[in-house]
Amino acid sequence: MDRTELRRRIIDWLDDQYHFGEAEQKIGGDDASFLDRGILDSLGFVALIVWLEDLLHLTIDRKNINRENFDSMNKILDYVQQRLAGGQA
Amino acid sequence: MTDGTVIHRPDPRRAEASRMASFQRLCEERTGRRFASWPEFHRWSVECFRDFWRLFLEWADPAVEGDRHPVCQGDDIETAAFFPGLRLNHAWNLLRPLPGQEEATALVARDETGRRVDWTRRHLRERVAEVALALRARGIGPGDRVVAIARNDEAAVLASLAATALGAVWSSIGPDQGLDAVLSRFRQLDPVALFAAGHRFYQGQRIDLLPLLREVVPALPTLRAVLSLDDSDLGGLAAGRLSDLGQGVDGGSFDWPLFPFSHPLYVMFSSGTTGAPKCIVHGAGGSLLEHLKEHRLHSDMGPGDRLLFTTSAGWMMWNWQVSALASGTTVIAYDGSPTWPGPDALWRVVAEEGVTVFGTSPAFLQFCRESGLEPGRTLDLSALRAIQSTGSVLHGDLYPWVREAVGDLPLQSISGGTDILGCFVLGNPMLPVVEGRSQCVSLAMDVRSLKPEGAPEDGVGELVCGNPFPSRPVGFHGDPGGARFHAAYFAQNPGWWTHGDFLRLFPDGSAAVLGRSDGVMNIRGVRIGPAEIYGILRDFQEIRQAMALEQQAPEEPGGTRLVLLVQMQPDRDLDRPLVLRIKRELSRRASRVHVPAAVVAVPDLPVTHNGKVSEKAAREAIHGRQPANLQALRNPGCLELLRHHPELGGRFPQASGDAGAQGTHGDRSRR
Repeated sequence: MDRTELRRRIIDWLDDQYHFGEAEQKIGGDDASFLDRGILDSLGFVALIVWLEDLLHLTIDRKNINRENFDSMNKILDYVQQRLAGGQA
Repeated sequence: MTDGTVIHRPDPRRAEASRMASFQRLCEERTGRRFASWPEFHRWSVECFRDFWRLFLEWADPAVEGDRHPVCQGDDIETAAFFPGLRLNHAWNLLRPLPGQEEATALVARDETGRRVDWTRRHLRERVAEVALALRARGIGPGDRVVAIARNDEAAVLASLAATALGAVWSSIGPDQGLDAVLSRFRQLDPVALFAAGHRFYQGQRIDLLPLLREVVPALPTLRAVLSLDDSDLGGLAAGRLSDLGQGVDGGSFDWPLFPFSHPLYVMFSSGTTGAPKCIVHGAGGSLLEHLKEHRLHSDMGPGDRLLFTTSAGWMMWNWQVSALASGTTVIAYDGSPTWPGPDALWRVVAEEGVTVFGTSPAFLQFCRESGLEPGRTLDLSALRAIQSTGSVLHGDLYPWVREAVGDLPLQSISGGTDILGCFVLGNPMLPVVEGRSQCVSLAMDVRSLKPEGAPEDGVGELVCGNPFPSRPVGFHGDPGGARFHAAYFAQNPGWWTHGDFLRLFPDGSAAVLGRSDGVMNIRGVRIGPAEIYGILRDFQEIRQAMALEQQAPEEPGGTRLVLLVQMQPDRDLDRPLVLRIKRELSRRASRVHVPAAVVAVPDLPVTHNGKVSEKAAREAIHGRQPANLQALRNPGCLELLRHHPELGGRFPQASGDAGAQGTHGDRSRR
């Protein structure tokens, strides 16, 4: 799955779970903080991780769920792509 | 999940020193009996429930006046009246001076922003008296309904105690409810006063409640006073702030009037499959006695204990939590997100406040496990001695997680509900904890699992209660003849209280509640009546008919999710924009919990020969089960689609065993 497709799937997931058609508008740019903009709360991040694991057949170490790796669309895409390319869990 | 694995055993010395043991000894002395086991003690408490409650009243010693006889007038569970000769003031029982407790902290309020308020027992009582006098000066008195849109904080506790001290009836909901949810409840009560928070916090955001209040206040024409629970003036809607009420008044002059044992105390709401939410009226004396029993005996709480229960002001656990003041226990009210600013935020509060009994939900424990938290290793939880969980089924898998990640503590699955403002099954400081089970049935409650003839003794059945108990509601508000009350709990099995849950009882006295047996849904611990969803969907012209169902969440053992089946109008399709619009409206007008996880278009909903849509048949089908009475359906063929629909059926093993049982699907937990 390429970056564009993965981004689209994440937006769809955010719409289905939390923002009901307004996710694209609410994230306000791919570098904007998900936490600061109220896109996801802590429970939401865990749900996103579980969904990504199922979607991409990955295992993500819970110690890596932090702002550095997951707090914006670009950070999520970077992290996942690095993992798919064989990077550390 | 209920294979009998003991996960925790109480320290024998501690068990012997517990309040439960002390009370059992008193009962043995007074009756001349010897209870060799818990089942024997429990059996006596049921068979001789009048003796039980007489002795419990003596042992617990609440502040009551009048004749203690009769203990219970009548034997019919629907109409029996406890202690008709007694009078009491409920708030006084929660606030009266206790030895050594006057200057001790009675109430701590914390929120996710880090705000912390700490009130002594004396201060809380004095403020309650002052506010009660101020409310009385505004014409508020016994029987008046005082409603609130409140956060779980010290203001809500103060306002509720002041209102009930006057004999007014308190009814609160949390600040995360939408307009339809608020009005469908409060409009029925004709309230005279509204306490309202001006904002709420969630996950670092301050959410203004003024837009909601601007619609709520004019829609409640009986209001004589609107009062702000926080520093807001509610955009001019409020006539005053709680913090200013009663300032300069001599609280010492408040008389703490006494009211009959069954005087209305709270109205709680329960949304059903049809009609407006039911307004369940709970009496003062029954609530007090039941909570004293659950707190002191089953939870072993008293002075020195610190209770934190994760709840909103709209859930019965809020009322239950406040009642712990009557046992001298410090109440820690926490408001906001339990996972802000970090996933272990609530555990940090538990550690910092020296919480001894922590109440939470299976959903929160599941989140902690999935997040890889290990609060027992990273925080000082040395004060913690029990964890209680309620709201939904506590799956057996979470017991080992608690032992490993938190500590060797009793994890007590407690279950009952809004309807009885208490528990049918719960903890016990003298008993071991078995994975996937509640430790015992509540004392003096004849709880049974009503099963078809020939079913095994420990099989799954309908949870019923066969004897009178004090916290049975007084009735429903707006139901003077009691017809709705009768239909809700007594019509299905005359002579029994039928609760609407599935239950297994085990020979050792332990129990497992296995989810709802009726059309009411319990989604991640929140009860939802489909009627509220249907009311909002009526505004969607594209939808001909809809059915909301609870389904075991395939990816979450013990968890549940909401699914919505929609039958479209002939020329309409269920496309993605419509699905998102349905979700958005349900979130906005009801609450986030009302948003379905899946919305699925179906050509047909199952209908009986007399034209009634069968939620039961559809529920069986989406769990891969064959409904028992297919002949009753006009269109049984439609169930096949539900059984095999990729978003609904097909993922469950066919004809799985227990109704409501867990563990029939894959476990996604990995760590």
